[in-house]
Formats: sequence, C-alpha cells, structure tokens
Amino acid sequence: MLRSFRKSLPKTLSVALVCAVFSVAGLRAQNAAPGVPPAVETREIVDETGRTLRVPVSIERIVSLAPSLTETIYALGLQDRLVGDTDYCDYPPDALKKAKVGGAINPNFEKIAALHPDLVLVTKSINRLDTVRALDTLGIPSYATDPHTVVEIISSTEKLATVLGVPDTGKSLGEDMVRRLAVLQAKLKDVQPSRVLFIVWTEPLISVGKDTFIADALHRAGAISIVDSAKDWPQTNLEEVVRLQPEYLVFAASHSENATRDFDALASRPGWRILDAVHNRRFAVISEAVNRPAPRIVSAIEELARQLHPEAFSDVPAPGKDAAPAGTPTPPPQKPAAKNRADAFSISQECPCAR
Amino acid sequence: MSSPHRTPMPPGEQPRSNPDVRLTVEQASYVYSPNPSQAPLFTLEALSFQAKPGEIVAILGPNASGKSTLLKLISGALEPLSGRVFLNGYATHALPPKTRAQRIALVQQESRLLFPSRTWEFVLQGRHAYGRTLRFETEHDVTIAKNALAQVGAEHLSDRWMDQISGGEKQRVILARALAQQPLLLLLDEPTLHLDIGAQVDLLESLRRLAAENRYTVVVVTHELNLAGEYADQVVLLQKGKCLRVGSPATVFQRELLEQVFQAPLSVEMTPAGRPRVTLFEKT
Amino acid sequence: MRPLTFSRLLLRCGVLLLILFVVVVIALKLGAVQVSLYGLGRDLIRVLLGQTRAISTDYGMIVVDIRLPRILLGIVVGASLSVAGASFQALLRNPLADPYVLGVSSGAAVGAILALIVESHLALSPELAGLITPLGAFIGAAATIAAVYFLGRRDGQIDGGTLLLGGIITASFLSAVIMFLMSTLAGGNLRGASYWLMGDLSTPQPKSLLYLLGIGFVIAAGAIYTTASDLNLLLAGEKEAMHLGVDVPRVRIVVYLAASVLTGLAVSVSGAIGYVGLLVPHVMRLIFGSDHRMLIPASALGGAIALVIADTLARTVVAPSELPVGAMTAMAGAPLFIYLLRRRLA
Repeated sequence: MLRSFRKSLPKTLSVALVCAVFSVAGLRAQNAAPGVPPAVETREIVDETGRTLRVPVSIERIVSLAPSLTETIYALGLQDRLVGDTDYCDYPPDALKKAKVGGAINPNFEKIAALHPDLVLVTKSINRLDTVRALDTLGIPSYATDPHTVVEIISSTEKLATVLGVPDTGKSLGEDMVRRLAVLQAKLKDVQPSRVLFIVWTEPLISVGKDTFIADALHRAGAISIVDSAKDWPQTNLEEVVRLQPEYLVFAASHSENATRDFDALASRPGWRILDAVHNRRFAVISEAVNRPAPRIVSAIEELARQLHPEAFSDVPAPGKDAAPAGTPTPPPQKPAAKNRADAFSISQECPCAR
Repeated sequence: MSSPHRTPMPPGEQPRSNPDVRLTVEQASYVYSPNPSQAPLFTLEALSFQAKPGEIVAILGPNASGKSTLLKLISGALEPLSGRVFLNGYATHALPPKTRAQRIALVQQESRLLFPSRTWEFVLQGRHAYGRTLRFETEHDVTIAKNALAQVGAEHLSDRWMDQISGGEKQRVILARALAQQPLLLLLDEPTLHLDIGAQVDLLESLRRLAAENRYTVVVVTHELNLAGEYADQVVLLQKGKCLRVGSPATVFQRELLEQVFQAPLSVEMTPAGRPRVTLFEKT
Repeated sequence: MRPLTFSRLLLRCGVLLLILFVVVVIALKLGAVQVSLYGLGRDLIRVLLGQTRAISTDYGMIVVDIRLPRILLGIVVGASLSVAGASFQALLRNPLADPYVLGVSSGAAVGAILALIVESHLALSPELAGLITPLGAFIGAAATIAAVYFLGRRDGQIDGGTLLLGGIITASFLSAVIMFLMSTLAGGNLRGASYWLMGDLSTPQPKSLLYLLGIGFVIAAGAIYTTASDLNLLLAGEKEAMHLGVDVPRVRIVVYLAASVLTGLAVSVSGAIGYVGLLVPHVMRLIFGSDHRMLIPASALGGAIALVIADTLARTVVAPSELPVGAMTAMAGAPLFIYLLRRRLA
C-alpha cells in the first residue's frame, strides 16, 4: 500500500529537509536591511582600510571593540556616546562601567545588536576580519583604524574625531601629542639609544617587530629593540637574546608588582642569569598604554624615556650615557623612574583595577 | 526459479546453447604477482570442468593448492587471465553486481559484523540485489527470507541476535541468506571449517537436499576428504595450482594420487553405495 | 520479522523533528539578551505569516538576524557532521570513525586556512571570496580522507586499527600544520584561527553562505541516502557486499565524495567540532538499530538537535562571554564516548 511512496521517497525526503531548513530562512530574507531606520539621514565615510560605509549624519551611539578605541573616545570627551565596549576596556576606570559586549576577538553579536549602535569601532591589529564581515551581514556599520606608527596614531585619532563630528577636539588633542613628543625629542637628542628587549609575553618569549607602533614608540623613547623582525609579534628565544645582550628588559604591565614578578620569574629561569640586564636587574616597566594605539601612548613613551635616560631629564646634563661599567653593578634604573612617576605617569595611582 | 524481479540479461553476449550445462570453466587460469616485472607469487594453471543444475562439485586440495582462487574465478570476483568461466553462457566476472548477486550466492567462512543485527535482518540482506535504490522490503521478500530460514531449519532463530547464536546456527543462517538470493549457483568456501562433525553432516545433508529440490548448482571448497567423497557428484582435485584430476569421487579417490597430494599415508575403500571412504594412518 | 517500512521511518523522523522544533524554540528564547516567550511566540507567528516587517525592532535583529541564523547554522552543521560520521563508520567499517577522529576535520581546517591566505592575495569580489573557504575546506577534507583511507588499507581491505592510527597520526600532523600556518602567517584574517581547532558558531555568516550550506547538505546527504541499503551490506565487508550485489566502487566514491563535502562545508563555517559525528550515530543506532535507511535521517536530525543544544549551552553558561561550541561537545561527548566504549567491551 506504500508502493507509491517508495518510489518518491528520495524526493519527498529532500523536499521535507529543504522545508525544514529553509522555510524560516526564506521568509527572513524578505526582511531587507534590518536595523537602519529609514528616516535617519546618512552620509558616506571611508575608513583606514579603504572600506566605504554609510553612517547616520550624527553618530550618537558608539560601540568600541578595542581598548585603544575606548581610550580614544574618552580622550575626545565623547564618553557619553559610548554605549558599549569590550571586557578588556579598563581605561579610564569609567570604561569598566559601560555595557560589555564580550572580548575583542569573539564579541557577542546579540549584545552589540541590542545596543543599536550607529557605528562600531574596530582596529585591524586586534579585531578579526570575520567580525567585520559579520557586522556587515547584520547591516551594522563598522569603522576600522589601522595605525602602524606613533604619527599614524595621531592622524588616526584626528580622523576619527572628524568622523564623529568633533574635528576641533581631535585637532587640539593631536597638536598636544605632537608638542609633547617634540619636547621629548629635544631632551633626548644627545643620548645614545638603549638597546632593549621589549617583552610582550614570557612563555613563550614574544617581542615586537619593527613595523609596529610599539617599535616606533620605543624609538621615540630613546630605545631600540634588539629584535629586528618583519613579523608583528615575533617569537624569540634565550639563545638569540644572549647573543644580542640587551641593556634593558622592558615590560608593559598594569601593575609594577606584576612586572617585578615577571622579571623575577625570568631571572630565576636557568640560563637567564648570563644576561647582563638580568644580572644587574636592569629593567624598565611602563604602563600597558604602550600596547594601545591611543593618545595615552605619549605618556607611556615619556615614562619609558625617563626610566632609560634619567640623565636627560635632570637639570644638570649627565656626562654621556655609559651602560653598566664592568664589575660594578649598576643601580637598578627603576629607582629614578619611581621618583619621576609623581610628576609624569603613575601606574599605581591610575591603576583602574579594583582587584 | 525465475522471478519477476530478475534484471534482464545484459546485451552483447549471447547464451551458449546447452541447457543441461549450467557452469562451464573453460581453460581458466590466474596468476598473482605483486607487479608485472617480478616472478609470480602463485599461479593457477588452466583447468576446465562443467556442472549441471542440481549437481554438487567439490573443489578438493590441501592448503595453498588454489582452491580459493578457483572459487573467486567462478564467483566473478576475479577475471581469469586466460580462458573463461560461464554461467548459463555469460562470463561471470562481466555480470553487473546486482545481476551477479541474483545468480551467484557465496557463503564465506565467516561473516563479521560491525554492529549487531537480528537474524531476520541478516537474511533479508540476501534480497538486496532484487531491490531498486532505497527500496523497502516487500511482503514477497519477507516470504522468501522466511522460506530460506525454514529450508535450513532455522525458523526458530529468526528473532535472535546474530552475535548470540552458535557457530553451527550462524553457518545455517549465512546459508539461508545465500538461499534468499535465489541463485542458480551456490558457492561455499570451507563451510565446515568451524563446525563439529554433527553440524558438518547436517549442513552437507541439507546442501544435497537443496541442490536436488531447487536445482542449484553447488560448488564447495573443502579439504575434508570424506565429506567430498560422500556428498559430491564431481570432484576437482588441486595441488599447488595444478588441476590433477576432475571426475566422480570414485574416479578421483585413488590411493596413490591422494597420498601424493595430501602427503599422508591413507587407504581408500568403497562403501556399498559406491562412495569412497578414506582412512588416514599415522606417518611412519 | 518486522522490516523497516516507509511509514515507520516517517513516524520516527516526525518524532525527531518535533523534538528539534522544541529545542529550536528554547534556543531562540535563551541568550545573552533576554527575550520573553510571549514576544518570541508573537514574532514566530508573524514570521510564519510572512509579516516580518511587523516584528518589533528589539527582537527583530537579535532573534531573526542573529539567533535564528545561528541556530540554522547549528542545525546544518550538526546534521552534516553526524551524517558524515555515520557514512564514514559504514564505509570504513569502523565504529570509531568520524570526521574529527580521522583527521578529516583538521584537513578541512588546513584547506580553509590556506584558502583564506590565497583569498587575501587575490582580492576577489566578496561573493567569490565567500565561496573560496568552503571550497578549500572540501579539498582539504577530500585529500585527508583519501590519505587516511590508503593508510588504513592492508591486503586490499580496510583494517580497523591501522585506519584509526592513520587517522590519529594524520590529525596530529594537520594540527601541527594549523599551528604552523597560524604562527608564520599571522594577520587579521587568521587571528581567530584557533577556532579552527576548537569549533565555533558565534560569528554570523553571510546569507549566501547559509544557502550554499543548506543546498550542499541536501545534495550530499541525499546522495549518501541513495546508498543507504548498500551501506547496510558494506558493514559486513567490501567483498561480502560485492557478492550480495553492491556496486562497491560506485558506493565508495559516492559516499567518500559526499561525506567530504559535508565535512568541508561544516568545517568551513564552524571549525573542527568534535564528537558530534562520532556519538550521534551511535546513540541513534542504540535507539533505532543499524539500518542506514533509518540511521541516516535519524543521525541528521539527532546531530541537529545535539549541536543546537550544545551551542545554546555554549552561549548561555558564561554569558555574555561564550565558550567555543567544540569545547561544549567535547565536555559532554568524551564521557559519553567512554561509557559507550565500556558498554561495547562489557
């Protein structure tokens, strides 16, 4: 009695499957261009990766998907327009109170959509292309920044200020950054750059490549990275570091105690004692701001410069820089730095973490 | 034996006309070699014989004599290097898989199962060759499967799991699946290998009965001299890839010949029914 | 003697479909953003009536544009992996075979990553760019299963132990290749590449890819289903299947290609999600028996149900953050696997 069914079984089954999977999806397709209310006036902008996007004339609701962008928004005084940021956006402390949309790598799209942003900010060095594509699919405009040098951080900040409708604030912020960098450059003009190892991660040992804004920031602080790699985050090893003998190890940390702990952990590892910098406890700690392409990076640069070249900041010029005279242990260079923190940048005071 | 589901004969080859002969092995030979440049590992030299419907042919020989190779040639799994194997006039290796399965059923030494299945499911597998793609079994298939189980005296096993029945029962169920294929030619590869003597006799008795009732042509590979002598209508005696003799058990079972082939002292006597009986002696 | 009939098949699939529907409704309700059951029901009815414009904007985007596509993706990926697993188990005569264990998922991931690299150098149009990853994943899957198949052959038959070892070695080799590609070719495209190793459904995919996935699933699973009764016989071995009338080379190539398509498509959008392809067919076999005419649709529906549940847990247990769904399936799957293994041995 089921003979007629048997013949058409494959067809019936595939039809059933198609129906099951696509009936709702098909209907959904009719709902074109979701999320953009038709009444709002829009304009076209081009982001730093060359993508053209359409945004409302007045951008009132911003979601930031990178800590650096969150800092930039605050620096521009637009924190009231910031409706959401990532779990890692911890500066300034007020950013912790914003609605969280998950991590920068794997944001929660439901949360983003629920915030109805006019614009989502992403940066190419942290966020994923998939994230940007997914936002495109959802019809949420996303603006990408892509600075590779300190100068580009400044121009990127100014460009973002223009997009967000506050070009003058951006301009004065940029000018201030340029001015502070020029002052620093004048102070450091006679010093010989210190050869440093910038430590991003200790296990495995990861440093920075020459094409990153961090390498540029080190350069401006009177330092030169011993790692000369075209990769952004090159992995290196002890043998290579011993061969190159850096004068200083540089740590970026939110707490100076963390950095001391990192240093002690490295120093206690077999083989690391043969490094002069470890033997003489020559290490510098700077704020994590150096890792973030945001206006605060200038403070981080100044701070590092003070630790590496204290003589350039004293009124009496030091008689040239002399690295670690043989036999006599050099005094730990973080001491003068600690002295300078009061007037420049204090990690412990500005620490946003309540942990 | 004909069934409405049988696929028509493939075009191209015309059946040879001899209604009495069903299986023809004609100067068939085979060579195993790992690659053409090397010496062959094993050679089955050309041999010939014929079998009629209802006949039981025993392929007899010690290990490595070529019995299994010959069976593969007959079943169509291998193509002969020279010569032909015909079933009702068609070369067996050239038959399409389904057509072949409708004409030739093979009972192998052991049927390994990956996942447990019921006995009836197993027997219904024999009906696969009669179905179209994705066909569900019909009443007709179920009847044939039931009959097949009944023919081997295993109706009571129908709802048991295949991995929970004895070796002898399993062998009968495997035979039932072959019967469900409704073949013209029934091939058995060492069917008695794992059976005790009672089950061996049972199996061969039922084979003889089935061959007579259903007009199957049965080909059994065995190294059991007495079973071959008792039940076969024809014996093909093989040694090291050579066919030494083909004929009735009485003509093949010569003392000197068997002693030379099996490398054991033995004696051959005739039973009142005209069947040879072999007794083995200890080697001196 | 009660052979499978079409009406029984339909009844059982209907029950599974009903369970899937309930699971989907629950999954639609749960998530980082709260949605009321009333609002959900109202919106569902509106969607079914075609009045999508009437949906409130609050739910509109989250439920219809984020959650529903993600659930549909989970359905297709879960169904693909399970059907591929059931097919591999029959084709390779190994109850432990599945795309993940055999390294096919890793192969697809390598293919997908290489495709991403190629894509970033070619500057293709977005439509083509969307297709190149699934294509790379398919080629990777097909090449891997071919390699594993030949590694696992001994004397012309598949040998279970050799095959599994071959698969495990291939999988670990390919994982190393993925690590290598990730560390040497870092860039915006590859930052999330660890998700190829773990499996993840969190990124909304373009609609065109969803359609491609659905159509690919229907074609490939349909092709496998035409060989369902052949697969039943293949369980007894290729030689035996041949003597029962199975065109073994044809079935092998159809199932091999179709299962590679299924794995490639699933991995290209979700990474390597483990255990679904291995366990769902086993559980379905325990419930419905090992007849592939029943097992394949049951695995498809069961895999869909399992992955939608796993993904819903993955996005709710630590909300608003998320676990990779692969971590969820491994956490639930590994103990279940050990249980099934002990049961078989007992």
